[in-house]
Amino acid sequence: MLAWGSLSKTDVIGAIIVVALLATAPFVGSRYIIGIMTVALCYAIWATSWDFMSGLTGRENFGHALFIGTGAYTAGFLNVSFGLSPWWGFPAAAIVAVLFSLLIGFPTLRLRGPYFALAMLSAAVVMQKLSIIFSETTGGQDGLNGLSPMLRSQVSAYYFTLGALVVTVTILKLIALSPWGTILRAIRGDEATCQAAGINVNFYKICALMISAAFAGFGGALYANYQLQVGPDLFDVALSINIIIMVYVGGMGSIYGPVGGALLLIGLTEGLRSFSEYRLWVYTLVLILILFFIPSGVIAPAWVRLRDWIRRSGATFARRANA
Amino acid sequence: MLDILIYGAVISAVYALLAVGFTLIFGVARILNLAHGAFYALGAYCVYTLTANLHVPLVIAAIIAVLLVALFGIAMERVLVRPLRKLPPLAVLMMTLAVGLMVEQILLLIFGSEARNVPSLVESSFDFGGVLLSGQRLLAFFCSVAILGGLWLFMQHTRLGAAILAVSQDPEGARYMGIPSDRIFSIVMGLSAAIAAAAGVLVAPFQSVIPGMGLLPLVKAFAIVIVGGLGSIPGSIVGALLLGYSETIVAFKASIEWSQIVSVAAVLIVLIVRPAGFFGKRAAF
Repeated sequence: MLAWGSLSKTDVIGAIIVVALLATAPFVGSRYIIGIMTVALCYAIWATSWDFMSGLTGRENFGHALFIGTGAYTAGFLNVSFGLSPWWGFPAAAIVAVLFSLLIGFPTLRLRGPYFALAMLSAAVVMQKLSIIFSETTGGQDGLNGLSPMLRSQVSAYYFTLGALVVTVTILKLIALSPWGTILRAIRGDEATCQAAGINVNFYKICALMISAAFAGFGGALYANYQLQVGPDLFDVALSINIIIMVYVGGMGSIYGPVGGALLLIGLTEGLRSFSEYRLWVYTLVLILILFFIPSGVIAPAWVRLRDWIRRSGATFARRANA
Repeated sequence: MLDILIYGAVISAVYALLAVGFTLIFGVARILNLAHGAFYALGAYCVYTLTANLHVPLVIAAIIAVLLVALFGIAMERVLVRPLRKLPPLAVLMMTLAVGLMVEQILLLIFGSEARNVPSLVESSFDFGGVLLSGQRLLAFFCSVAILGGLWLFMQHTRLGAAILAVSQDPEGARYMGIPSDRIFSIVMGLSAAIAAAAGVLVAPFQSVIPGMGLLPLVKAFAIVIVGGLGSIPGSIVGALLLGYSETIVAFKASIEWSQIVSVAAVLIVLIVRPAGFFGKRAAF
């Protein structure tokens, strides 16, 4: 029962063009650029998974770094402390992140109000503190170093990350377009009405959080295996906020928008490289400006306009050809 | 045993200061202020700048710092938060978060990441039946209790306090009675900022003053307010006592590391058992 119908041909062609453009990057860019792009794609996975839960159901998650960090540390532990192959890290990271999402989501998502947002925020902060306090096992401030690389060349790591992003966005977008996604959006609109219609609202919200956490944990493991290092900054509030800003720039609830938001903001970060101290400053400024002036974001609304324009001009073209 | 009692009291008093301001602005204006920790950090840094760079006497510096932060809180409410009140509550939440981060970044740019020292107001230490307590901690305790008492008197016995209570019960009804709700929101934001700054000023001498110092107190304030019930002032004081003492007991009996988990564990347990908190009304939302 997948609603392919609501994805137009233009949408699919547009997505293919973007992926093709991203796939040509290794032929054009230097090693340095490819490294930045790989990190940007990881951010895109995180932002998309954030958007799936919070953009669709409207329940703000202020501690997405909790899932990213636990995923990355899981992958790191399995590799460094237990010597397992990096490939085991991916499913394990997703499972551990889902367990954490149940721990936080089960008590807080039943409640109305800001409890969920704040519980996520504080859980991420406390996990960061714990990772520094228990430094014998976690490596403290330095984190875990020396993960064995999963892919030999940098270009194959880039393509692997790109593939993972495509799979993530496709799966999440298809769920969002299915009746499941409709229910999630209905919860954002009016929770009481959904309940009156006999929908088990809490079940859907908790499931959405679990799916979101699974992809975030997976993305965390991906990042850990690419950087070959895991540190407490993966639990940082700043990381959670950066992700939220990327989604805001991309357009909330669109799933594909945050990918553009992530690429745009990482690009901006690189452009501001010489002012690296001012980076978070610029981010928060971008957030404040967007909140004030364009609350619906940039990327997704821009694509919707472009698509309508293509359709309109395509229609006139066809009319002229027929005449 | 006695040391737990004394140190717990000091911690609880400071926590109560933090939580009361946080719950006040929520109860009155329904603003969940994620910049609350920034007010606390700003208070500490203002005192540092005034004493270390401008050589203002410590007592006067403390008063100026609290006033400055109160002005900052009012300005934030007027300029950044009020225009967003028509939008979904999420926008306000994001804005306060953005302000909090911005303040932290600005402090980092100006002062760097190394810890700064603020001199103590009281240098000598006091002996309570074998437990040595520094004068500054004792001062923090008494000042906190005095501020909380003053706040209670203000809310119960002044016209402005009555107006604030009225707005917190029913903003629309209060407007019909001629109370300017918007101005009350600004005043309460200033008050809440001032109380948080006072907490920052009081603990600055025995805490490391770093740009990120506001984050953990924000988490603690949030936990206390959940335990006590969002929007309830007596609840947040009881919550502060509960959390302050349980942290102290865990710190003394187990280790200081585990005391960090207490707040999050408390939040999760309270949300499962009694989501409205001890003093909150059920379905406050």
